[in-house]
Amino acid sequence: MTRKFLPLAGVLAAAVLLVATGCSSDDSTDTGTTTEGKVNLTYWSWAPNMDKVVAGWNATHPDIQVTVNKQDGGDAAVTKLLTAIKAGSGAPDIMQAEYQKIPTLVSANAIADIAAQSASVKAKFPDSAWNSVTLGSEAVYGVPQDSGPMMFFYRTDIFAKLGVTVPTTWDEYAATARKIHKADPKKYLGTFSAADPGWFSGLSQQAGASWWGVQGDAWTVAINDAATQKVAAYWGGLVQVGAVSNTPMYTPDWNAALNDGTQVGWLGAVWGPGVLEGNAASTKGKWKAAPLPQWDPAKPADGNWGGSATSVTTQSKHKAQAAQFINWLNTDPAALKALVTDANVYPASTDATSTALTSPPAFFADQPDFYTIAAEAGKVTNPFTYGPNVNVAYSAYNDAFAKAAESKQASAFTAALATMQETTTTDMKNSGFKIAG
Amino acid sequence: MTTATAPADLARRPGAPGPPPRRDRSSRPRRSVTATVLLLLGAAYCLLPVLWVLIASSKSASELFSTFTLMPSTHLLDNIGYLSGYRGGLFWLWMANTALYAGVGALVSTLVSAMAGFALAKYTFPGKSAVFNVILAGVLVPGVILAVPQYLLLAKVGMTNTYWAVLLPSMISPYGIYLCRIFAAATVPTEVLEAARMDGAGDWRGFGLVALPMMRSGLVTVFLFQFVAIWNNYMLPYIMLGDDRLFPVTVGLSGLLNQGATQPAMYTAVVTGALLSILPLVALFLSLQRYWRVDLGAGAVKA
Amino acid sequence: MTMTPFPSTTRRRGKRAGVPYSFLAPALILFAAFLAAPIGYAGYLSLRRIKVSGLGLGAGSRVEKWAGLSNYTRSLSDPEFLPSVQRVALYGLIVVPVMLGLALLMALLLDAGRTRVGVFARTSIFLPYAVPAVIASLLWGFLYLPRISPFVDVLQSLGVTSPDVLSSSWVLYAVANIAIWGGTGFNMIVLYTALRAIPSDLSEAARIDGASDRQIALRIKVPIVLPSLVMTFVFSLIATLQVFAEPMTLRPLTNTISWTWSPLMKVYRDAFIRNDIYSAAATSVVIALATFALSFGFLKLIGARAFNQEDAS
Repeated sequence: MTRKFLPLAGVLAAAVLLVATGCSSDDSTDTGTTTEGKVNLTYWSWAPNMDKVVAGWNATHPDIQVTVNKQDGGDAAVTKLLTAIKAGSGAPDIMQAEYQKIPTLVSANAIADIAAQSASVKAKFPDSAWNSVTLGSEAVYGVPQDSGPMMFFYRTDIFAKLGVTVPTTWDEYAATARKIHKADPKKYLGTFSAADPGWFSGLSQQAGASWWGVQGDAWTVAINDAATQKVAAYWGGLVQVGAVSNTPMYTPDWNAALNDGTQVGWLGAVWGPGVLEGNAASTKGKWKAAPLPQWDPAKPADGNWGGSATSVTTQSKHKAQAAQFINWLNTDPAALKALVTDANVYPASTDATSTALTSPPAFFADQPDFYTIAAEAGKVTNPFTYGPNVNVAYSAYNDAFAKAAESKQASAFTAALATMQETTTTDMKNSGFKIAG
Repeated sequence: MTTATAPADLARRPGAPGPPPRRDRSSRPRRSVTATVLLLLGAAYCLLPVLWVLIASSKSASELFSTFTLMPSTHLLDNIGYLSGYRGGLFWLWMANTALYAGVGALVSTLVSAMAGFALAKYTFPGKSAVFNVILAGVLVPGVILAVPQYLLLAKVGMTNTYWAVLLPSMISPYGIYLCRIFAAATVPTEVLEAARMDGAGDWRGFGLVALPMMRSGLVTVFLFQFVAIWNNYMLPYIMLGDDRLFPVTVGLSGLLNQGATQPAMYTAVVTGALLSILPLVALFLSLQRYWRVDLGAGAVKA
Repeated sequence: MTMTPFPSTTRRRGKRAGVPYSFLAPALILFAAFLAAPIGYAGYLSLRRIKVSGLGLGAGSRVEKWAGLSNYTRSLSDPEFLPSVQRVALYGLIVVPVMLGLALLMALLLDAGRTRVGVFARTSIFLPYAVPAVIASLLWGFLYLPRISPFVDVLQSLGVTSPDVLSSSWVLYAVANIAIWGGTGFNMIVLYTALRAIPSDLSEAARIDGASDRQIALRIKVPIVLPSLVMTFVFSLIATLQVFAEPMTLRPLTNTISWTWSPLMKVYRDAFIRNDIYSAAATSVVIALATFALSFGFLKLIGARAFNQEDAS
């Protein structure tokens, strides 16, 4: 009886063996090969035209050649990196890592400590940026590449037509929003975007919040603190009276609104000109940039939306050379200039303003003080600590605030904040983190 | 007096390949307006988004969000030119990759399914229904669930981020095996196989020289089905590939949209790319339409 | 496991017994490697979790440990899980009957042959099958969003305010529409081919007896293609319950679709956004088991009818 099953069993056994024997995790050749001293490095980045920037390095460093693999923005690339790290192969040598992702990446042992090569460039960066790559320790997990101090963009022509002036405080912003919407019910000064947690965290940062903190070997989670509640209640109030719209940014609908003037302003960041140019090219010349409205004009502050560092991954076999490249990319004047003109990023290096940012971006060609405003904003940016589960908090933001925005009830906004706090702490506790306070 | 077509057994579906039986229309010359109107409504509903894509592809980037949706413009060739030039022809590389994944994947998958379906239909052996049930269970597993474990397993052999990472998993199609079993049972009479065997042909020659030609139109159906499934697949190549020069069109285009908050999404390029990516499939369907036979109890799975 | 008698040529039995297995070998090897092994691995992962020590920032501070069934309890007790299942069940109840109803109607109309636009209609209605779900959702997104939708423009010029189809009361139908648009054509061709196989003397005889087209369709044609209809129904239901691409693509465009709108979206969020592959694996196993139970139950009910054509020699 059993003999008749042998052929079938044989085939299945062969199949299982084939899968099982593929278990030799031989080192993949993704992370650099050496032929006669020449080193090939891969760099995952989503900034456009990074390969043009890197070409400058490749031309002058024939023994260390860097290839750029363009990735989808932010999240997708990090997910791929984490999967590759977990799998043991497939990760690049160099990775563009957003500041808010660095604790997650360090926690997953995805990026390496390059203090040996990179601690020397500390002086070239503002403290807030450097803090983001050291997490307050002696280790250096990357070199700051770009930052995103928030700014306010508005349509000068519509402001003139409706007789409103640029708001400098949040009270003025609310009043201006109501005035604009009353004058023309189709127009809004801005929108509350439940799809952009980075936007909201930047605004909270400006108000003085820091959603995570470290106390000894425990974390603190303060998403629900007074500063963030102030911001949530403020926006909930605006949405409830209909002074701003409640639909997400970066949708075709929002692009159309930027084009036809129904979105009269945009709370963006220093990289905003590229987005406006790409989405609303027909409105070129009608926008102006201003500092973010303030809670307290006597104590100006700002927040970051986006910004990333360049890091070396733990799977890289040539960490020293990779760190050398990273130092060049983020401090060398020629590299900084290329970053500005080709890759459309605002370099975090303090040298950049004097060497690479001498003329305003193309979309704001008639506003020579654009980068001065940005530099001022960068100087007063509050500190902000990111925790090990930023993505959990951010996806909780998406869901909770989408519901709140849809309901148009201010109370729902503060409730959404409580949900975010709860979800984040529960997730951290589940993973075994200690939560203090 | 009705002229009947060749009498057909009601319980037995037609076995030989060929066009469906022609109807004698001499007794029904009346055209129905209702039927025409309803069919045209259906066609209009289905064509509307395609028409939209065509119109949107003709707009320049600054027109896309600022002009009336159904008003065509004149920039189609410009858009195609821009898309073709983007990063040195990357879009056409994506199209070539897609053709590779779908063409080779579907071809091998059809062969594998034909062999398996033939064995299941024409032979009896211990474990046959168990094997078939297990294969059928495979139809029910969603791709999303398989994606990460497949990646982790392929990473152990260092084969992620290669063409093989997308080709190999595409070569197994439980639904294809199911279809091939039905086609083999219906189109390959056992007597013919026995006759070939009596003439001294081995089982493999019987399969290759007798069974495969008889199953031909069914095989084209299986090939087309798997071709479309691979062409439209997003999850598998997305998770397997890190180098965007290996991407198929679906992953590449959605990447153009997901540039992160700090860069504008490239809507014009995506819309033009969507239009261009639909065309090859339409051409394939139209040219292979006479082979497209999906009756015989086959179900519908939109991958 | 059924034991069927071997063919009567017993002297070649030993040599022939291995033949079917060699035909099956490639399929079985690929199946084991790319379907069975990953499912098994997902099952294994669902019983594991990550445990962190200290701040979780040093190398080796994250350790994979045995989790027992805790991933399953957390997944099933997630307050968003049950609503997503209910939502998808309702979604299936909308999509499948409407899609198959439209497919059957179009197939019957084509089969009745009373129109000159048959080939054009058939090709046009089949066209959406060639469009990937992600692209289709993007295209329909452009048609849904109020400021750029041609429908809204046209209705507004007629003085009618159109409802926001992406609002919470309509969004289910908005997503369903995309699935119906994409799937009707394929199902129509399936049913149409089955209808074409019906000998015409049946409907001729009925027509002579005075039956109208509609009576012929409902009383003669539909009952004959019922097996095709049933199989189509089952496979459509399975595909519909796995809805993923359409709501994922629409999610960033509106406030009314959350990360857990459908069960597979929750799996994606856990695996790729929250980097919790273990929880995702547990939810996947639950979904897979539920789908198996549902479809095997259904197939057992009507299974024999699908395979009565088979040769058993």
